[in-house]
Amino acid sequence: MRIPCPYCGARDASEFAYLGDATLTRPDPAAPDADEAFHAYVYLRDNPAGAHSEWWYHSGGCRRWVKVARDTTSHAIAGAELAGGAR
Amino acid sequence: MTSALDTFPVTQMPADGHYGPAGIHGVSVRVFDPPALALLAARRGGASALTVAAHATLGLALADAPRLARANGLGTIGAGPGRWLVLAEAPEDLTARLAPLAAHAAITEQTDGYVGFELSGVRTRDVLAKGVAVDLDPAAFPPGAAATTNVAHINVTFWREPGEERFVFLVARSYRVAFARFLIASGAEYGIAFAHRG
Repeated sequence: MRIPCPYCGARDASEFAYLGDATLTRPDPAAPDADEAFHAYVYLRDNPAGAHSEWWYHSGGCRRWVKVARDTTSHAIAGAELAGGAR
Repeated sequence: MTSALDTFPVTQMPADGHYGPAGIHGVSVRVFDPPALALLAARRGGASALTVAAHATLGLALADAPRLARANGLGTIGAGPGRWLVLAEAPEDLTARLAPLAAHAAITEQTDGYVGFELSGVRTRDVLAKGVAVDLDPAAFPPGAAATTNVAHINVTFWREPGEERFVFLVARSYRVAFARFLIASGAEYGIAFAHRG
């Protein structure tokens, strides 16, 4: 699988480290239901078959986090952008 | 079958000399210590201010892309968004010269951190094809193009020099022996001349 890094270009997946789901948002620790929200944030994951958004760290290249839109059934990659938005 | 590499401990650089069939010279490798090297990393949100300052004070054109540019005795190599390696052509106090940029960037002296490998010769790309998973055809990787990638599990930053078939690799110093052994093991069939620059 080759991942299209926005800075480096298409590179083999072995140059990247996988972090996981990029759709999660860190909960507010001050909220009354923070314990439950953090349990879900840290431990509970969907296992989608199909389109997924996920983080890959380009440790062998530009050392930036890349948000990749990948189909988990075909490994087809629809797009990739650098974390933090601006390229 | 024994290889010439078997005669060198894996902790020492292979000796200068010719490896491979006698009379065949496909690739030349020159190992060198960078005269001066530093990493320039823009502060958060400061990449455009750094680019302006680098141009105004040092005459450097910092392109935010994996490319090599040269000006005023310095080569700048894009290593990541907002990050550049700065390689001097002659020994100098690079951190002092880059000091005017300190308001916009973190400047890290790296001269002793890396070793350079300059590869040239008609079979250079045949050797690199055994370890570099980047398209090095001149149409895709023209002179001045640069890349940071893993070669034989070793992280490197390299670029193509203008003119003839010539590439320069920067390798972390502690990996220089492993990288040299990769080059010799991969290049011996083409005849490889291996030398340290004095």
